[in-house]
Amino acid sequence: MWLWFSKLGSPKWFYELSGRWLPWLVAAMFAFLFVGVVWALLFVPQDYQQGLTNRIFYVHVPVASISLAFFPLMAIAGTITLVWKMKLADIVVKTAAPLGAWFTAFALASGSIWGIDTWGTWWIWDGRLTSLLFQFFLLIGVVSLRSALEDSDAAAKACALLSIVGCINVVVIKYSVDWWNTLHQPGTDFVLSSNKANGPDIWVPLVLMIGAVYLFFAVSMIMSTRNEILERERRSQWVEELVDNL
Amino acid sequence: MLNAIQFSSFSEFLNMGGYAFNVWSVYGLFTIFLGANLLVPMFKKKQILKDLKRRRVVNKNARPEINE
Amino acid sequence: MTVGNSTPTSAAFLSTLKRDLLIAYRRKNDVVNPFMFFFIVVSLFPIAISPDADKLGEIAAGVLWIAALLAGMLSMDSLFRADYEDGSLEQLLLSPHPLYFMVLAKNISHWLVSGLPVVLVSPVLAYMLNLPAESYMTLFLTLLLGTPVLSLLGSIGVALTVGLGSRGLILAVITLPMNVPVLITGTLAVQQTLNGATLAFYLAILGAMLLASIALAPLASAAALRISVN
Repeated sequence: MWLWFSKLGSPKWFYELSGRWLPWLVAAMFAFLFVGVVWALLFVPQDYQQGLTNRIFYVHVPVASISLAFFPLMAIAGTITLVWKMKLADIVVKTAAPLGAWFTAFALASGSIWGIDTWGTWWIWDGRLTSLLFQFFLLIGVVSLRSALEDSDAAAKACALLSIVGCINVVVIKYSVDWWNTLHQPGTDFVLSSNKANGPDIWVPLVLMIGAVYLFFAVSMIMSTRNEILERERRSQWVEELVDNL
Repeated sequence: MLNAIQFSSFSEFLNMGGYAFNVWSVYGLFTIFLGANLLVPMFKKKQILKDLKRRRVVNKNARPEINE
Repeated sequence: MTVGNSTPTSAAFLSTLKRDLLIAYRRKNDVVNPFMFFFIVVSLFPIAISPDADKLGEIAAGVLWIAALLAGMLSMDSLFRADYEDGSLEQLLLSPHPLYFMVLAKNISHWLVSGLPVVLVSPVLAYMLNLPAESYMTLFLTLLLGTPVLSLLGSIGVALTVGLGSRGLILAVITLPMNVPVLITGTLAVQQTLNGATLAFYLAILGAMLLASIALAPLASAAALRISVN
């Protein structure tokens, strides 16, 4: 177990393993994406309330749900960075923050475009939108802290700490915004509830799209992690050998 | 489980029941979102490897006794 | 560090507190500036929005909260900066006492100097912004409990960025979103007590936030200081 743990922390080991997995993950991602998008766009029957805007659901929901996983992921990786000083964990904190900002931004953008017709407006200060907006701000904070601190060891620890604090904060913000929202206006849950009672022709493409977006998340994370490993380990022998064999 | 295709013509598909702007802009953004986060790391990797290769060659030529 | 150091932590805590208050007293700018900033920002709202009393009354609580938040954040910059530059922060890190208490002492003195004056003057500004008279007490009490939470949370961001040359904006980007829960509770308290809700409920929530941040925030700030000063 400990051997496995320390191996996992070794950038070289990760680079080699991920190099073998990456083609399969990319292939699976495109397969899921193709089937999911075609099914969602062409075959899903229209929603009795929303008409064909339910097509947006199939990209918005997977991205929005995964965007909620970034802070917990960064907090766990940050804890590992602070406690065990594992190099790979810091690389995960570093690469997850900008990708998380992308996910959150897309979830917000697709949500508000969806809202034009279902809510009748681009933007409302609804609980979910508001807390996602603040999650976006906090992620940008982690990204800009990283770029401001040049010293890599201090930057690693500082971003790890900020990720942990941010993770707690996102949870507290989520609950307080929900509470704030219920006191200001009636809930806006009808959008999801209208999709709940539907049959497999609605949820199977959703599952496919969730799978596709998860795979995309994994592929993108692994690719930037590998780049970061190459940059950080550029003076090590294995990277030099790798470069020589090009 | 699988329904028939919901559209009878291609122009109807493009029109998306009057929601063409909403649906296609979201799918367009989705493409940009996926594309950016896949292509940028891909090009970055090429760049890094090219850069490392160049440095390696320079180093080798400068101090051959260390590397060989 | 030193074996046989006989100063108890409580004495070190008090002397840090006293020292910071004395420094603030000598450099009066640190006391006057946040206060004036608060006053000026609040005065800009009637000019920018409308001098109409009804409109102002509606936004008064929010304006005062946001102005207090910004005033606190801007003055945070001086929390560790001078100590970092003259090296006394390193002394603090090397001292045998738990850093938690030293950071807490610095937070308390910072709040006494920059937070408390703002809280004390808030009823006057609330009157100028035409906040309904029955809300003065609510606003005053929620600010009294809420502004120390803002200071405690802000000090984490300050500690993380203390080593940076120019950090005005990055500090804002890191700390402002963290203050959302406090802001929500404070402004909701003012609005909802006008609708007949009990004040005690909101004070209890703010009190809980204050206790939680007293317990946790100095720990995070202390860890952040150890990271930044090395």
